[in-house]
Amino acid sequence: MRLAVNVAQLLILVLAAPALRGIIAKFKAHIQRRQGASIFRPYADVLKLFRKEDLAPPTASPIFRIAPVVVFATAVIAAAFIPVLSASSLLAARTDFFIFVYVLALGRFFISLGALDGGSSFGGMGASREALVSVLAEAPLLLALTSLAMLSKSLSLAEITRWTAGQNFFDLSPVHLLAFAALGIVAVAETGRLPVDNPTTQLELTMLHEAMVLEYSGPSLALIEWAQAIKLHVISALMIAMFLPWGLSTILTAGSLALALLLYCGKLLLLAGAIAVIESSLAKLRMYAVPDFLRVASALAILAVIFTVFIRK
Amino acid sequence: MIEPIFVIFLLLFPLAAILGYLGAGSALTRKFVPYLLLVLLLSGLGFSAIAFVKGNALNLHYASHLPFATGFAVDRLTAFFLMVICAIAFPATLFSISYTEPHSRGYCRWYWCLLPLFIFSMVLVIVSSTVFVFMAGWELMTLLSGGLIAIEGASEDRRRGLFIYLAMMHFGAAAVFGAFLLFVPGAPSLTFEAIRATGHGLPPQVRTAIFLLAFAGFGAKAGIIPLHLWLPKAHPIAPSPVSALMSGVMLKTAVYGFVRFSFDFLAAPAPWWGYLALAAGAVSGVLGVLYALGEHDLKRLLAYHSVENIGIIYLGLGTSLVFLSHNAPIWATLALVAALLHTLNHALFKGLLFLGAGAIHHSTHTLDMEELGGLSRRMPMVSATFLVGCCAIAGLPLFNGFVSEWLTFRGFVAGAVFDGGSNELILPLMAGVLGLIGGLAAACFVKAYGISFLGRPHTPRAEQAYDAPRAMKLAVSLLAAACIVTGIFPGIVLRPLLALVGTIISGASAPPEITMISRGMPVISACVLGVIFLTFAVLRWKQIRRMVPTWACGLPELTPRMQYAAASFSKPIRQVFRSVYKPDRKVEVLPVDRPYFPEAISYHSVRTTSFERSLYRPAVDLLISAARGLRRLHTGNIQAYLLYIFFMLFSLLLYLRFSQ
Repeated sequence: MRLAVNVAQLLILVLAAPALRGIIAKFKAHIQRRQGASIFRPYADVLKLFRKEDLAPPTASPIFRIAPVVVFATAVIAAAFIPVLSASSLLAARTDFFIFVYVLALGRFFISLGALDGGSSFGGMGASREALVSVLAEAPLLLALTSLAMLSKSLSLAEITRWTAGQNFFDLSPVHLLAFAALGIVAVAETGRLPVDNPTTQLELTMLHEAMVLEYSGPSLALIEWAQAIKLHVISALMIAMFLPWGLSTILTAGSLALALLLYCGKLLLLAGAIAVIESSLAKLRMYAVPDFLRVASALAILAVIFTVFIRK
Repeated sequence: MIEPIFVIFLLLFPLAAILGYLGAGSALTRKFVPYLLLVLLLSGLGFSAIAFVKGNALNLHYASHLPFATGFAVDRLTAFFLMVICAIAFPATLFSISYTEPHSRGYCRWYWCLLPLFIFSMVLVIVSSTVFVFMAGWELMTLLSGGLIAIEGASEDRRRGLFIYLAMMHFGAAAVFGAFLLFVPGAPSLTFEAIRATGHGLPPQVRTAIFLLAFAGFGAKAGIIPLHLWLPKAHPIAPSPVSALMSGVMLKTAVYGFVRFSFDFLAAPAPWWGYLALAAGAVSGVLGVLYALGEHDLKRLLAYHSVENIGIIYLGLGTSLVFLSHNAPIWATLALVAALLHTLNHALFKGLLFLGAGAIHHSTHTLDMEELGGLSRRMPMVSATFLVGCCAIAGLPLFNGFVSEWLTFRGFVAGAVFDGGSNELILPLMAGVLGLIGGLAAACFVKAYGISFLGRPHTPRAEQAYDAPRAMKLAVSLLAAACIVTGIFPGIVLRPLLALVGTIISGASAPPEITMISRGMPVISACVLGVIFLTFAVLRWKQIRRMVPTWACGLPELTPRMQYAAASFSKPIRQVFRSVYKPDRKVEVLPVDRPYFPEAISYHSVRTTSFERSLYRPAVDLLISAARGLRRLHTGNIQAYLLYIFFMLFSLLLYLRFSQ
């Protein structure tokens, strides 16, 4: 039963990922007083790309071909770390969040190489900027999760979730607030959303992730887009699991699982709404203002770790 | 039975050196020496691996037969480091066979004479059990590597680099020797056993002095910032296989020495020792990788990464010392295992990367990344193995660097997470430092690999690159295979390492992390590889794939100059961390009175690290002015010298009179 739930969680994270993108786009359209495309539009996009021809620049080496697959694989494996319906996941028992963070880093490493393999200046530009963002995002991500681990006395994501779900919401400490703020900023940077990166344009000035994948087409692009959607969903689910885990199924009956799924969808919609509001009301940061933004996250995460001393009994 | 074989093993190195010198003339002997050395290293690898896993001890004492208290000993720690030496020296020697081929006879003669001796000196340092053998090996190691650098050429620049290397090494050797001498009043003899026995009983201030001397002395060899100055100067000018040996192995003898001193001889560390090592590790790690990001010479970049990785090793050692002083042996064990594993891992991937860089230099005659590019199609094997090395050094999962970084991270947080009550804050914050180092290293190796191997060739040199010779390819693939195997199945190294650390830190149960990662890594690797293969299978990736030129925004076609170069790739990061680099830039626009319509612009940028400016320059100036002052005493007048002797004698007599 537990295995089935874990597999279901993984499938939810992987298969529902494009829908989350669609929902955010829909929300944004509503804020802009447009009707917007259907929330299933990202599925259609990915399916369309899978049927298209795969083009490659003449400079491409095998890295160009491998990179999208590695990105997709690491996104799927990262999804296997996250608890969604119950406080467990496929890979949570033997692993910790450090491995989770570095699995994502593996994907980023390869997509940056794939970008440089195109031999055009845009790929290099995107890779170089992505490197800057990820350099500054990794430390606060690790520190924020470390502070939560120090409170819950466990390093496994599932155990941290279990511990948090057992707490009273109003008993949560300032550490959680600090870690939440830090993780929120990092999540924006990691998933390439506004105000760090704009996922909807390919304008030169805003280019981060979109510049890296400019040379990709067909199935390769489909994999990258899907992986990007999974990453967004995984990071969102991570935020929910770390800071809003109440309502997880503990006894694994059909009823409680259905309730957990319903609650999860509600939380996700809430988060999607928040993202839509933030993205509609903020402009993209200038490239060299992004490091300051991420430094705030680092400061918050360091404070979160320091504050654990005052909280722990 | 094993003892005489071991002595023969040691003696065969000098023999190989003699043969190497004499035999460079004929083709037969020219081939013979490398193969002799290879067989020697292979047997050494086998011997040390068995001793490492099984823990067979070996103790040879020739104090009664030979002068200077000569003695050798092999315990698990020694065997581990011996294994590291042989594991890197074997492919380096293999690589050297192709490396020396295009060189002149005189060069080969010296190369094949000095190389076995250099390896021999490192073996001596590790297997010594007396101060004499240790210091002899230590000095030989410096001088012989200096010799190997010198045979490569003697331009002004190289001599300068070599001089800095030798000067700093002698500073380090003096400090190490001082640390040994401080044991002397209490120790009956200068064997390690006697030193170990006296170590505990020394008064605290002497122990502090010994620790500081050892820290500085071994730190200079290891390249801890601010004693790292020689690394980026000496590594690039050495022959590539020697760079691999220097970075992969020679630095590790310093780690060995530091572990011997602080964990074995002195034991029971004071709390601040660990914090000192942690601070040194954190500073070296972050600054080392930042300096590396600013470098565009492949070998100098790798040299700075040695500083970074030594930093990570010191982070582990420091954590271990902190936990030892807090009386938490289980976490001290974990951190020491992490540090030692990273020692092995760094040797493997750094050896691989330096040899890869050597192969690039062999076929393109340049190491400037801005002149390379597109090598992955020209040198597929070197390219693939270099990628493995890049992933490993960036600490990505599936490769060995990740395992030791993970263990280091667990060492940081273990105390805070699992030991309720300890209000230790520095260590968990170090997790952030490790994250920063990891992120920067990944960025740096995206640059190193992406700019040199991917995209279009930047120059005709890179375009005309030919594939590396077979011996080189074999050497790098051996190391790459080792990186992958120990990355996916870390248990094969971790279990003996745990036993090793058990001999140093007593009374600890095995930390659960060791089994966790030994069992976890194969599962995660299988998952990642499984999904990758599944995706390939589902997509049936052999489908038609059309090559179309990249859209050039309306221009006729893209040129190599349009792609990102190493300087432009690292520009944003250098911009954000500009306070670290402090470059001296000079832009001259000609003619001066028309800045907006220039005819010529010259740009000049010098990167002297701030350490050179604010630490070394004043120190050297002080030394020189002190020497100038002393020179006044040298009048050249014999009467004056007699007067000095008289004063000296008089003051000694006074000292003797009043000291009793």
